[in-house]
Amino acid sequence: MDHIEVGNQCCSPRIEGIQKIQQSVRARKKQMEVLLGLLGEEDEVPCDCIFVYGHEATGKSYLLSKILEEFEVPYAWINCVEIYSQRLLYEGILSQLFSSTYTVTTLRCDNMCDFIRMFKQEAQAMNLKKMYIILDNAEKLRNFEPTLLAALMRLQELTRLDLSVILISEIIWEKFRCGIGLCEPLQLHFPQYNREEVLEILSLDCPPGYSEEFYTAYLRVVLSVFYLVTRNLRELRYLALLNFPKYCEPIKCGTVSESDQHKLWKNIEPHLKEALNTVYLREVSSFQWENYHTKDAVGPAKKVGDLTQSFNRAAVELPFYSKFLLIASYLASYNPARTDKKFFVKNQGKVKKKKINLRKDQPKRHILGPKPFPLDRMMAIFYSIVEEQVPPTSMIFSQITTLVTLRLLATTSNEEELGTPKYKCLVGLEFIRNVSQTVKFDILSYLNDFI
Amino acid sequence: RKIKRLRPVIPSRQTPCSVSENPLELARVKLHVSAVPEYLPCREYEYSDIYSFIEGKLFDESGGCMYISGVPGTGKTATVREVMRCLTQARDSGEVPLFQFIEINGLRLTDPHHFYSQLLQELTHEKATTSHAAELLEQRFTKPGLKRDHVVLLVDELDLLWTRKQDVMYHIFDWPTYPHSKFIVIAIANTMDLPEKIMLNRISSRLGLTRISFQPYTHKQLQEIVMSRVQGLNAFDPDAVQLVARKVAAISGDARRALDICRRATEITKLESKHKASPEKGSRHLVGMGQIEQALQEMFTSPKIAAMRSSSLQEKLFLKAVVAEYQRSGLEEATFSQIFKQHVAICRLEGIQPPTPSECAAICSYLGSCRLLLVEDGQKDILQCVRLNMSVDDVNYALQN
Repeated sequence: MDHIEVGNQCCSPRIEGIQKIQQSVRARKKQMEVLLGLLGEEDEVPCDCIFVYGHEATGKSYLLSKILEEFEVPYAWINCVEIYSQRLLYEGILSQLFSSTYTVTTLRCDNMCDFIRMFKQEAQAMNLKKMYIILDNAEKLRNFEPTLLAALMRLQELTRLDLSVILISEIIWEKFRCGIGLCEPLQLHFPQYNREEVLEILSLDCPPGYSEEFYTAYLRVVLSVFYLVTRNLRELRYLALLNFPKYCEPIKCGTVSESDQHKLWKNIEPHLKEALNTVYLREVSSFQWENYHTKDAVGPAKKVGDLTQSFNRAAVELPFYSKFLLIASYLASYNPARTDKKFFVKNQGKVKKKKINLRKDQPKRHILGPKPFPLDRMMAIFYSIVEEQVPPTSMIFSQITTLVTLRLLATTSNEEELGTPKYKCLVGLEFIRNVSQTVKFDILSYLNDFI
Repeated sequence: RKIKRLRPVIPSRQTPCSVSENPLELARVKLHVSAVPEYLPCREYEYSDIYSFIEGKLFDESGGCMYISGVPGTGKTATVREVMRCLTQARDSGEVPLFQFIEINGLRLTDPHHFYSQLLQELTHEKATTSHAAELLEQRFTKPGLKRDHVVLLVDELDLLWTRKQDVMYHIFDWPTYPHSKFIVIAIANTMDLPEKIMLNRISSRLGLTRISFQPYTHKQLQEIVMSRVQGLNAFDPDAVQLVARKVAAISGDARRALDICRRATEITKLESKHKASPEKGSRHLVGMGQIEQALQEMFTSPKIAAMRSSSLQEKLFLKAVVAEYQRSGLEEATFSQIFKQHVAICRLEGIQPPTPSECAAICSYLGSCRLLLVEDGQKDILQCVRLNMSVDDVNYALQN
């Protein structure tokens, strides 16, 4: 999009406002200028529809809200995730823009026709000149009928008021198109921040008591580890703040001075590498993390590793037969049916051994994922691997349905087909190995992929 | 009062419509579809059939049904209305027994069951809910009671009164069979085999075999209809009327279509006479072959070809790419990514900068919203299926040279 000059001739409060925004919003100068140009000055008609898109945490909502707050224009901000019916959208916009006349209790508006009528009426009554409607997470609007989006994009035309509809989304405009022609909006892209910009923004929240250079040096260390994995500003900020006390620890103890960056780096690096595994995963809460780093004198790396492992470990206690049923389902899901004879038929002595020639180039079933199997096959494997005689009572079958409700198995057939139910096993190899260890069953020797 | 205000009403005309003396203007007024003439030419046989049927039932003091079918624009409703007009005149002069004429159009009802309340309101000016109205009507038609007048009901667009249980249709054709009902039903629909196709057997048997089928007008009849309307006006060249009649009769035999074309031709003639500085004042302008030809062109040419011809270069290239992809794969369907590949190849061949996928998606969705293509949602991205909404020959014809 072309660079739009913000008029030099405009009045001073506007320039002051722009300067204020520039102070609080970093690395978004160009986007700010474009937006200001599109939203228009006081006596200008704003652009009827603007589509703002970019990745997560690129400052779309933040910049917009700053601009709207700074210039004190009437606006309605709707997060479309909250809107499960169209009524909430209409009433939300009306109650935000005309809060003096409409309260949530008295308002009733459930179609576009009423909305436009009420909107015009109120705007005339309150003598509002310019308004903005911001729809965050606009991709959710596609869940409604396509006419809703089409009407919202033409709201300026339909109400004949100077209003601008701004859609904020993380996905591109092409994915919004539907069979009916939509009025094309002006698109504004928010690119991801580069390394310098991230550094600039993160250095804004320098903790008190430390110099900015010191904090920037720390941030460089953090970015050198994490920037490859994520560029999400929110996540980086969280990680930087979380690990800062650990970084400062040697200084507090008095062993290292602030200027000796090499030693500080040596000290923090293993901890950051450890934290790399927990990016985006809140397996260890920040409270626990801090506890391990500051209060315990014991080596944190080991403990943290323990902590995450304990989280990962499949710790589901199951009844004895349920375990065998689960193992049987796993074997049925990951072994081809023609190898069943090889693994599970006990008395093969007299029968002529037919050589099962397996193609070597076949991809491993563990890569392709589980295959569905009929109940009969699973029960046959179950009776073959359980050493003792098990009567097929209702208990066994009710345990199968329990496994389904626990999401360890999944049904793949229709519910009507009671006669031939089909299942799929949903647990991983690590889980099933743990389970089979508890019943002393060597599962790896029964799996075709590992022989 | 509130309900009255909510109904949309055409505002009453303040000053009367100006009628010009110009023969072209007069012809335009007379050719309007709403200007039904005094007598309907070419429907004399059907007219007498319907007339004698209703008259016979009125004199017999019995009820009955009649089913009228025919393609649109063959004068079904106009003929029945004409019959009823004549019968009303006869009733007023005391030649036939008293009767009440009610007309109900299936398209005007929001729900088939509203038929009951509509009929009751027309009959007795009472308002009632649909179920209550059904009960009242049931009593009125089935119970022997007071001596009542005949009721002649015209049901237009009968096929829209179809419901799952077909109770509305059943009642319409059941009530005339009661001895004291004096209920005469004339049902109109477009298809001839409607009673056999959608009605239950017990309903179609009640409907009976009194059926009239209105054949589409032949070109001679159409010519007669148009000429009867512009009689004595000296606005049309008879050959031009014949051309219209032959063209319309070849396609549908729809009288409305023929009248519309003639009206359009008068407008074209008027425009032309304005543009041409007439050499002598007061010269007569006849609607000739040329104007008719132009009006026919406007009415019958496909808008799709015009749309393709006036589309932008990249849109044309996209359509070409769709055709090329059809030819390559031999299937009548392609995904967006396949077509995009073809599009880029064509652009390279023509020496044009190829568009980006985003631009191409915009082109695709625009053509889809014009219905030149049939496309899926943009959500499916490069996997969306694209199909032509016309034949490949049309595209080739429109895009050649």
